[in-house]
Parts: sequence; C-alpha cells; structure tokens
Amino acid sequence: MEIAKPNKYELGEMLLEIGSLLIVAGANTERVKVTISRIAGAFCCNSDLMITNHALMLTLTYKDNIKTFTRVKWVPNMHLNFNLISDISTMSWKIVEEKWSVERINNEMKLLDRRPLYPRALVLFLVALAGASFCRLFGGGMAEMILCFLGTFLGLFVRQETVKLKFNFYLCIFFAALTSSFLVGAYWHFNPDQDFIHALSTSVLFLIPGVPMINSFSDFIDGNILNGTTRGVNVLVIAFAIALGLMVSLLIFNLH
Amino acid sequence: MDFALLEKGIWLGFAGIGFGALFNVPRRTLAAIYIMSALGGLLKFYMISLEFGLVFAAFCGSSLIGFLSVLAAHYRKAPPMTFSLPALIPMIPGFFAYKAMVGVMKLTAEKDPEVYSTLFFETAKNGLSACFIILALSAGVAIPLLIARKETVKRIKTDKVLEMQLENLEEEN
Repeated sequence: MEIAKPNKYELGEMLLEIGSLLIVAGANTERVKVTISRIAGAFCCNSDLMITNHALMLTLTYKDNIKTFTRVKWVPNMHLNFNLISDISTMSWKIVEEKWSVERINNEMKLLDRRPLYPRALVLFLVALAGASFCRLFGGGMAEMILCFLGTFLGLFVRQETVKLKFNFYLCIFFAALTSSFLVGAYWHFNPDQDFIHALSTSVLFLIPGVPMINSFSDFIDGNILNGTTRGVNVLVIAFAIALGLMVSLLIFNLH
Repeated sequence: MDFALLEKGIWLGFAGIGFGALFNVPRRTLAAIYIMSALGGLLKFYMISLEFGLVFAAFCGSSLIGFLSVLAAHYRKAPPMTFSLPALIPMIPGFFAYKAMVGVMKLTAEKDPEVYSTLFFETAKNGLSACFIILALSAGVAIPLLIARKETVKRIKTDKVLEMQLENLEEEN
C-alpha cells in the first residue's frame, strides 16, 4: 500500500496543529518533538523543530531535498488535557502502522475529544475532596476538612469563572487563592478558640502548578534548558500569585 | 500505627483522583492513579516513620510512582505522564511552603534581633525543605521515565515487523 503523496502545505500545517495541541494540553518538549518527527517519518520527511512556550517553528525537508516547508505557529495558553495527549500519542502510532493519509489524519483530528471528560460539578467535587484529603494528610480534624472542602470548592469555582471572563491568568490564580483562604480565614476569625492552620495552608494547594513543575525538570534533563527555565519561571510566578492571595487574607484577618 | 498509615493511603488516593479530574485524564486511568498515588505516598510516610529523612523519602516515593507509571502505561494504553503527574501531586510539601511564606512575612515586620534570628532559622529551614522536597519529587519521577523511555511506547506489532514496513516504505519512495 502506498501513501498518497501529500501537498507540502497540508502535511506541515497538520503537524503544526498537532504540535500546538500537545503543547497546550501540557506535554513536555521531548514528547512534542518525538511525536512530530514520528508522524513526519511516516511520510518520509525530515522535521526540524524549534519549540518555545508560545511558538512552534517547523521546517519539513522532503526526501528529494528540493521541497521544504517552514512556518511558525503561535501557541495559546496552557489548558491541561491529558486525555488529548493520550489520544494523540495513540494516533501517532496508528499513523505509522496503518499508513494513514493526510486527509484521514485531518478527519480524525476533528473527531478528537477536546472537551473535558468529566462534568464540571464532578470536577469541583473531586478537587474539593482532594483538598479535604490534603487537610487530613497534614493532620487536620473533621471540622478543618469540611472547611478545606468548601474553601477548595469555592476557590476552583472562582478560578473557572475568572478564566471564562478572560482575566489575566495569574490574576485568576490570585483570585482563587484569595477566595479559598478568605473563607477559611473568616471562619477562623469568628471561631478564634480553635486552630485552623492546616485548613488555611491546604485550601490553596489545588492551585499548585504541578505539571509545569515536573515538565520543567524533565525538560532540563532532556537538555531543553531554555524551555525548562521558561516553565520554571512560570511556576515561580504562579507560586507568587498563590502566596499573594494567601497573604492578603492573612493581613485582612490579622492571622499569624 | 498500621491503621493510621492505611487511612493515609485512602486520603492520598482521593487527592490523586482529584488532580486527575482536574487534568482531564482518560477514565480508564483513574483506578491506576488511585492505587499509585496511595502506594507512593505510603512508601514516603513509611520511610519517614523509619527516620530516613524527608527528602530521601520523597525521592523514593516518587521513584516508585515513576516506575509504576511505566508499568501502568503498558496495561492501560496511555502515556506514563498521565499517571505519574496526578499521583505525584499529593506529595508536594504545601505545609512547609506555607510556613516559609508566612515566616518571610513575619520577618519583614520583626524588629527584635533575638526573635528575628530564631524566626530566620525556622523560615530558612522550612523554605529549604520545601525546595529540596520538590526537587527530589521531580527528579524521582523523571528518572524512571527516562530509563524506560525506549520501552514505554506501546506497539501493537513487534519491532521487526515495524522495521520491515519502514524499509518497504523507503524503497517504494
């Protein structure tokens, strides 16, 4: 079976689209590189990539060394979606093994499930439960767990809403941290005889940028120092936004 | 003691699932994330109870998660990072980071030199613990993935069949 020779624009644009989907969904640099060169290899092309946090540059060289394709694609902000990464990874293997044509790949990409798998209420509930679990793990009691549950629930809700309203990303994090810690702080303020320090410190943990943090480190190990640094600085800024939200609550209620 | 550890395992699992839902992992991976998150965290807590030190315990716990994620990737047909990242997050030292941050805030307002020095000591200790635990977590989970990278790709056919196909492909072109 022979692969239909693709138009050079079609193949390159499809590869850029896949790469940008992967970066947005939260893949590390090496995975983007490997996936794109795997698919390009299936069409007997050589791919050279330049990957930064907000742009993807691709040069495709065809086997005869005459045709080349170069284009830069802007990559939007990160929106984690591991299901998409998993599906694209499976698809890239099928492309190599079943020799899909570009039209077929484009059709399959339209069918990829980009929406969240879980209903919003379930996500809110599960993340709030995770917050309560954190509180228990760090030594909180029943009352603190309930408080932490509510704090996390409201905090995540505020983050989702502010993201929808298209606020600055770090400002969304700040609002969420402020909401969570404000709720716990207010309860503590009106019940000063009990200690709610565990609830306060764990109610903002759901905001921790775990994926950029691990991706940053794995980029460093792979030798993509520039991307690793970019992600690391991003983590620091997010941590700063969380700390700022927490600090404002602490100052409002004068808790130490 | 044993029951307390078991209870921690249950909560660790829930924390892992919560982050899994936040990261939108495929449904088939949720059970594996629950188990991995509980096992990794339990290893960490057990090693802390044996007084191995926080950083080393975190490193071992995250390495276990890394290795398990490579295994789970084979059985559940998803990239290893889908499993390891949600399972890892319950181990992040949020309390130390919080203590360090509040400590820095207090330091800016403190005037008494003696209180300042004790406070500075505590803050630096908490901050450094948080930093090193996070480093140990990232390293622990990344290294098994790097070791196993060549084997993690899920192939329906064997290498030889694939190589033959690629050779045919090149000849055709």
